[in-house]
Amino acid sequence: MDETTSSVWEEMKNKGYSRRDFLKFCAWMGAFIGVESTGISSVVRAMETKKRPAVIWLHLQECTCCSESFIRTSHPIVADIILDNISLDYTETLQAAAGHQAEAALAKSMKDNWGEYILLVEGSVPTGEDGVYCCIGGKTAEMRLKEAAEGAKAVIAWGNCASNGCVQAANPNPTTATPIHKIINGKPLIKVPGCPPIGEVMAGVIVHIMAFGTIPQLDGQGRPLAFYSRRVHDTCYRRPNYDAGLFVEEFDDENARKGYCLYKVGCRGPVTYNACGVTKWNEGTSFPIQSGHGCIGCSEADFWDHGPFYQHLASFPGFGIETTADKIGLGLGVATGVGIAAHAVITNISKKDEINEHIETSSVPDGDREGE
Amino acid sequence: MANRIVIDPVTRIEGHLRVELEVKDGKVVDAYSSGTMVRGIELIVKDRDPRDVWAFVERVCGVCTTVHALASVRSVEDALGWQIPQNAELIRNLMFCSQMMQDHVVHFYHLHALDWVDVVSALSADPVATSNLAQSISSWPKSSPGYFRDLQKRLKGFVDSGQLGIFANGYWGHKAYKLPAEANLMGVAHYLEALEWQKEIVKIHAIFGGKNPHPNYLVGGVACAININETNALNAERLAQVKQLLDDARTFIEQVYIPDLMAIASFYKDWGAIGGGLENYLAYGDLPTNGYSDVSSFKFPRGIVMGRNLNEVVPVDGKDSEQIKEFISRSYYEYSDGNDAGRHPWEGETKLAYSGPKPPYDFLNVDQKYSWLKTPRWKGNPMEVGPLSRMLVGFASGKAEYKEVVTEALGKLNVPVGALFSTLGRTAARGLESRLVANWALEFYDMLISNIKNGDTRTVNQEFRNPETWPAEAKGVGMTEAPRGALAHWIVIKDRKTANYQLVVPSTWNASPRDPNGQRSAYESSLIGTPIADPENPLEVLRTIHSFDPCLACAVH
Amino acid sequence: MKHKEVPLFRVYVWERPVRIYHWINALCILVLCVTGYLIGNPIVLQHGGNDASNHYFFGWIRFIHFATAYLFLFNFLFRIYWGFVGNRYANWKNYFPYSKKHFQNMWDVLTVDVLQIRKKDIETPGHNAVANFMYFITFLAFLFEVITGFGMYSAMSDNWFSDLFRWVIPVFGGDLILRMIHHAVMWVFVVFTIVHVYLVFYHDYVDGSGVLSSMAGGWKFVSKEKFLKKNQEKAAEGK
Ligand code: HEM
Ligand code: HEM
Ligand code: NFV
Ligand code: SF4
Ligand code: SF4
Ligand code: F3S
Ligand SMILES: [Mg+2]
Repeated sequence: MDETTSSVWEEMKNKGYSRRDFLKFCAWMGAFIGVESTGISSVVRAMETKKRPAVIWLHLQECTCCSESFIRTSHPIVADIILDNISLDYTETLQAAAGHQAEAALAKSMKDNWGEYILLVEGSVPTGEDGVYCCIGGKTAEMRLKEAAEGAKAVIAWGNCASNGCVQAANPNPTTATPIHKIINGKPLIKVPGCPPIGEVMAGVIVHIMAFGTIPQLDGQGRPLAFYSRRVHDTCYRRPNYDAGLFVEEFDDENARKGYCLYKVGCRGPVTYNACGVTKWNEGTSFPIQSGHGCIGCSEADFWDHGPFYQHLASFPGFGIETTADKIGLGLGVATGVGIAAHAVITNISKKDEINEHIETSSVPDGDREGE
Repeated sequence: MANRIVIDPVTRIEGHLRVELEVKDGKVVDAYSSGTMVRGIELIVKDRDPRDVWAFVERVCGVCTTVHALASVRSVEDALGWQIPQNAELIRNLMFCSQMMQDHVVHFYHLHALDWVDVVSALSADPVATSNLAQSISSWPKSSPGYFRDLQKRLKGFVDSGQLGIFANGYWGHKAYKLPAEANLMGVAHYLEALEWQKEIVKIHAIFGGKNPHPNYLVGGVACAININETNALNAERLAQVKQLLDDARTFIEQVYIPDLMAIASFYKDWGAIGGGLENYLAYGDLPTNGYSDVSSFKFPRGIVMGRNLNEVVPVDGKDSEQIKEFISRSYYEYSDGNDAGRHPWEGETKLAYSGPKPPYDFLNVDQKYSWLKTPRWKGNPMEVGPLSRMLVGFASGKAEYKEVVTEALGKLNVPVGALFSTLGRTAARGLESRLVANWALEFYDMLISNIKNGDTRTVNQEFRNPETWPAEAKGVGMTEAPRGALAHWIVIKDRKTANYQLVVPSTWNASPRDPNGQRSAYESSLIGTPIADPENPLEVLRTIHSFDPCLACAVH
Repeated sequence: MKHKEVPLFRVYVWERPVRIYHWINALCILVLCVTGYLIGNPIVLQHGGNDASNHYFFGWIRFIHFATAYLFLFNFLFRIYWGFVGNRYANWKNYFPYSKKHFQNMWDVLTVDVLQIRKKDIETPGHNAVANFMYFITFLAFLFEVITGFGMYSAMSDNWFSDLFRWVIPVFGGDLILRMIHHAVMWVFVVFTIVHVYLVFYHDYVDGSGVLSSMAGGWKFVSKEKFLKKNQEKAAEGK
């Protein structure tokens, strides 16, 4: 890495912080990412010696809400992250340079930090029609992603677009929007799903990598356990109402005004892994459920095709938007009943002789025998 | 011979915009604006439950989050003929206002300022002089010499690290930068302060809609129940937080945004004569004070200013099949009955059909189809939409508030009314309407409080949540004013499902390619005549493009 | 009136463990269906003011579902065990359609008994072939509910046993799909039970073979002639 780059400690020294402030910062950072107090010294070491890591943020097929969410983070605040902690060398949303100048900045950072930079990806990759659905600088999203991934040390998939394809991948996925793990391989990849992910969660993932130089522990689907190990339902403050059987039945009914559980109006909290109930949104101000709307499952793969959102379970594809498993099941049950009635009638007619025979002629069995 | 320059990616915008320009004798002589990413959201919402569509279309854009959700729930309510309770209307207004203030401030500082502010020059500023400058234009407390000295030190350390991050390869030192070093340093300080403030104001979205970006909406009202005697609902504490955030927002806008805007503008008055472009301005209006059906109650009036004539406002009707139409003769789409006629959005079609060059490419085939944006027209005319259009329509409607802020700003800068029709005018209009919105938001807040005081806590109209009561077929349009301008969604509902859904978005109006008659849309026409000091570093082009606050995810969807 | 003597044979088909298994299983399924349905479509408690702290109604429903799920699982595991050590009728081979003959038999039953478009005499002392196949499907459904159920449960329990099912959610691509399928399969049991109970009564009525009471006492009645013939065939095949 470039010799002129400085460590977090040097950064802080330059800003006039004392060594004590720095140690306090490390302890706080350690607490934030959840290390034991005995582990703090390793945070201190990491902060002392590491240069600001180069970070490249690609914007592909996206709505840019992930970038917006990132700039909402309040611990650490985004200005501190991009001025002091990382070197954000490419991000179309915020960078000063445009066109050729931007492309040159990207090329330089990749060259200078080959094998070392962290690649952040926002948006999905449309692979249909050879990628013409998303071009940047005359190249397709896929070309750009593959190029940038090659020299990356680790890749972070921001949001549901990069992790799962998100809204543009919802049926019928007109552009064949594809999550990035299907495009790149051989690189450590962290999925940070959500539409968007919570700002502090995004910052937290970066802080973790920065402080430890390792990627956080991931679950079976590639998400950091630190933020996605619990369902919204497991940390939801309305949970006692759920357990008690106190439910909102319609928006703005008496129960809604009492803050009962939103399960019956479609809350997807029980099937959604995210930190909303704990970290909450916008510096802990609220989260969907706290503001009266059920969770729509925005951090789950394919949640868009699991609607309608205002009923407990998704409807079955191909059966119309209001057909639930119960309607189909009930239909089958009734059909079975009718079938049986018909069968019974036919039996009585067609097997009349046999039945009469049995009734009239059965005789006492000739002795008890065990059937083996 | 004209020289072709290409800017791709255009940065500090939302989305994937490419402009190709013909430059001759230091001036732009022709321009082509192209959106290079498409998702097909209009196709994706087909056959879905209309009550769910808001969530899909909200994800059209995360920068102007909420506005598409609002247009969507309104389109469904319009189709089914429903009114929403007044509290819901007021809460939606408050979310609208927060969005607009946040988006405008972020645009000014984080997407636009670096076109005018030279970050590197700030290194040589005198902190004491900067402090004097800051105190002379505003009573904002963070303006001591020490404050600017610390900031400068931090900036120096940053630049010395050799890792310039987002500031790498900027146009620093370009001839077109004219601010004194002190103004640059103040600009950098407020860049960082605005970054912190913008995350505060959107807490209003979190309170009413659960999160930001992408808060929740609800067809028929709003999901947050009001109960002033309940911990779990909108109560006095939550409302007090809203009030605090609104007060702080007004302070920030009045003490930071507007003084900065005026200070910077005073050094760039020449830009009051550059980048005017089209002469027609369209606004759908919004912020009802007496129910959405009463258009005359809107804070932002609806209407059109044609040919820069500020003495007349021409009415606009989204349901009239002869007024608003979208054309695709220069866009990568196909219509089933030929590509030259326009289509009203209720009859709109979205069939992706790329015909551009095979990537990787160096140039677009600009004389054929060259963009993923459709081209909207009003009675065949290209229209500019956005803050400037809203201010002009408000001004032309004779509303006193508009006259007041516009005249005050023109007076301060000592420029004629004609300077409004320009790059500078567009950028200034955004600030001026932020002032209005900051005040209106407080009015809406008071109205909400007095409603609740009077015992009205309704937030949802129940009657229409049940699809059993819906007609077999219905059509609606949901209009609003997004930060970037007039936004509308058209829905056709059949058998309780979304049969057709079309969005015509502000950036679609402004950034679209030419129409079948060869008429340019707003971006292209405003770029004509822009001076270019150095074709390798086309900073001036960025100024005019950025003055529209492009959002390409919106424009194409 | 013509009289034909049909000598009948009393066969001990269902051993006690199978019978106990059967009734525990039937009870579990009833409980799981009722509680499961309520989990999907909960009754709303309107009483008790606005305080959740006095109630645990829904928690109990779920608790019963989970507790019954364990009983159901171990009962089912026992039945699989019995498929190896139990009598001929309980043997797993009856259920698993591995031979051509199985399918031939199934065809016979389908055309003769179910659709009633052919006439032929079929008699099997255990279950007939179609019934066996239905039970096979049912066993698969049991297994499926267990896997999806414990898969979901692994998210809410830190118990080592449910942790064994952690892989299930990623395989299905999320909890919601898991739930939908888990919920939908409930209806398989509802339909099965309707058909099953009907058929039991049907066979009692039509064949007079004592199917109904066999699950209580274990005995069935079959034609002696056929029973012996079958035994000879089996002996000849070397089984
Ligand atoms: C015949 C067997 C079973 C039937 C018919 C059945 C039925 C159901 C139904 C209908 C639901 C409601 C799903 C919804 O709408 O959300 C459910 C939920 C559930 N079942 Fe079962 N189930 C069966 C066996 C099991 C087993 C063996 C387990 C293992 C632990 C299990 C665990 C669960 C869990 C964890 C839930 C979700 C409960 C919650 O989150 O509150 N089930 N079941
Ligand atoms: C009124 C209720 C029921 C009655 C009278 C009943 C009766 C019987 C009888 C008589 C048999 C033996 C059938 C034969 O020899 O062909 C049997 C087998 C069976 N029944 Fe039921 N049953 C009842 C409910 C259920 C329920 C609710 C289930 C579960 C869904 C069930 C599952 C089974 C299974 C799996 C077998 C096969 C037994 C084995 O081979 O292990 N039964 N039942
Ligand atoms: N153009 C646009 Fe938007 C806005 N403002 C939407 O309607 O930015 Ni994303
Ligand atoms: S994940 Fe959601 S919020 Fe993020 S870019 Fe995609 S659509 Fe936008
Ligand atoms: S509101 Fe949703 S997440 Fe919370 S307890 Fe109810 S179902 Fe679970
Ligand atoms: S909708 Fe998304 S924001 Fe959280 S509560 Fe649900 S995961
Ligand atoms: Mg459109």
